Amino acid sequence: MSSERPKLGPDIPKVITGWNSRTGRVIYLTADRDWSESLADASVMTGDQAQEALRFASTDQVRVSDPYFMQVTQDGRISGRETLRETIRAQGPTNHPMFGKQAGDL
Amino acid sequence: MYRYDEFDENLVRQRARQFRGQVERRLSGELPEEHFKPLRLQNGVYLQLHAYMLRVAIPYGQLDGRKLRGLADIADRYDKRYGHFTTRQNIQFNWIRLEDMPEVLDRLADVGMHAIQTSGNCIRNVTSDPFAGAAADEVEDPRPWCEIIRQWSTFHPEFSHLPRKFKIAVSGGGHDRAAIRVHDIGLDLRRNSDGEIGFEVVCGGGLGRTPHVGVTVRDWISKPELLSYLEAIMRVYNRHGRRDNKYKARIKILVNELGEATFRSLVEEEFAAQNEREKVILPLAEVDRIEAYFAPPAFDAAPAASPTLDEARRLNGDLDRWARHNLRSHKAPGYTSILVSLKPLGAAPGDATSDQMRAMADIADRFAGGDIRVAHEQDLVLTHVRLEDVPAVFAALQTAGLATANGGMITDIIACPGLDYCNLANARSISVANSIQAAFSDPDLEDMIGPLHLNISGCINACGHHHVGHIGILGVDKKGEEFYQVLFGGRADERAAIGEIAGPGLKHEDIAPALKRVVQRYLSLRSSPEETFIDALERLGQAPFREALYAAS
Ligand code: SF4
Repeated sequence: MSSERPKLGPDIPKVITGWNSRTGRVIYLTADRDWSESLADASVMTGDQAQEALRFASTDQVRVSDPYFMQVTQDGRISGRETLRETIRAQGPTNHPMFGKQAGDL
Repeated sequence: MYRYDEFDENLVRQRARQFRGQVERRLSGELPEEHFKPLRLQNGVYLQLHAYMLRVAIPYGQLDGRKLRGLADIADRYDKRYGHFTTRQNIQFNWIRLEDMPEVLDRLADVGMHAIQTSGNCIRNVTSDPFAGAAADEVEDPRPWCEIIRQWSTFHPEFSHLPRKFKIAVSGGGHDRAAIRVHDIGLDLRRNSDGEIGFEVVCGGGLGRTPHVGVTVRDWISKPELLSYLEAIMRVYNRHGRRDNKYKARIKILVNELGEATFRSLVEEEFAAQNEREKVILPLAEVDRIEAYFAPPAFDAAPAASPTLDEARRLNGDLDRWARHNLRSHKAPGYTSILVSLKPLGAAPGDATSDQMRAMADIADRFAGGDIRVAHEQDLVLTHVRLEDVPAVFAALQTAGLATANGGMITDIIACPGLDYCNLANARSISVANSIQAAFSDPDLEDMIGPLHLNISGCINACGHHHVGHIGILGVDKKGEEFYQVLFGGRADERAAIGEIAGPGLKHEDIAPALKRVVQRYLSLRSSPEETFIDALERLGQAPFREALYAAS
């Protein structure tokens, strides 16, 4: 793993995120075990379901690199102590508003 | 400058071909990320917050027009029309797709460039003085020795799996502009008592989690013996350096744990024990061959001052201010070196657009014999410019948005990419840099302040060299919020020192106003306008500045 992220307890709502292996873009795991570049498509999980999904993600190496849990609220908004980092990942660099997803550059 | 011969060319091409195969295997699923990661890192490919990042080596910061245009083409074709120059005198592209990497490496090879030695636990890209070969105060041009070390260290089998990365810097013996005392090994060209030129060897410096100023292990070593001596150091490190804990694996920890005297005697023993077959004695003809690549251009005989420039400065206040801050003395009368600031207010320190790269290449070809350098301060340098041509160079730089008049001043901030780009970051660096620039955007105020080095890192890895800024800023994470520790009193020159943390961290929005108070305090306390910030700090100690920093809280 290139990202040593904070441990999240089983009850904390989370999504799985990583990078598209081919392009390097930020992606999120969806409910049907596909990957989307949009956080809105991500599947919010807890407990065993989340662990099982992370196991799947870790074997899905062709499509994703370095998948990990990212904390969200029940309705899928970024939360927790990595909020700024994950917001920047989801949107793009704050100093370059013309780059990244914030610029529609999906 | 050094030109690749057939051997170099083959090596780089072979490496690019090999990586193409590795990328294909990664993308087909044959190679899992876990196995691919060390391979991509060996080719300068990192996975950052938004995308893959490619770090391209610029050995000792030396570029020419062809190379810079090649980089501009890569920025246009595979990235977002810009690149980021780093404190290791390299360039990084932030948005390259992995599937495009092999092609990018091929294009780099077309212009004699590569990404070798930009990552991994090997001897990294050698760094040097960006004014090498031009500086008025140097004993000798250090670049031939950087090149010799580059050739010796590239893919050196014995030193490809060191306990940790290893950084070497070489300075030409004048004022230290290469920060040699905070490198794993720092070399300084100097004369011995017989007047012969060799090297002082400094070892065990470094920044990061455990910053140290290096110690002199040898006052002087002759040129022919240099590589053997370096091998002796590397062997002691390879044998005794810790591999069980990556935070304790750098040579600075070894030097510190063994103590200076023990470390020195181990190196000297190793050096003395080398038999004739082991010694790397460079044939003089080879040294001559490499030195010839760095022969200075034929300088025109010119008077030391230029009435044309003087008159232009008198008529143009912007030119005059820029010339005051960005021109550097040159060893040839009638010539100057120019620091081209990549720190316009509000931009990411070290960024240059592809258009600016091309403009720099054109200006260098026209006015500076095609010679361009990258400075570890994340600026560019034009080395051999006739004083007569300075007004024309200034005008061309202005057109390209490259004429910011802040060389060495408080807004010429070193800042790493921080949390806007870097996967390891705790806090943003660029936005803090920009807020400080905004606070000191009045050029008259900046003039009044004079030289002040301000360095910012987004985490303890210290890529922004915060420990050696006169004022250093370190981004930390406190329960999910960005905070910034301020350090005072660091310096990277021949009097290298590690800055001291002033106290508790400040919030992002409080940094710029706090530094304004610190600078006001300096202005009110300095003994004369000639006393620089760092001199005043050394005279008065941290207390008054610390008090000003926290005055509002
Ligand atoms: S200092 Fe830290 S945040 Fe800045 S570039 Fe280095 S690793 Fe990234």
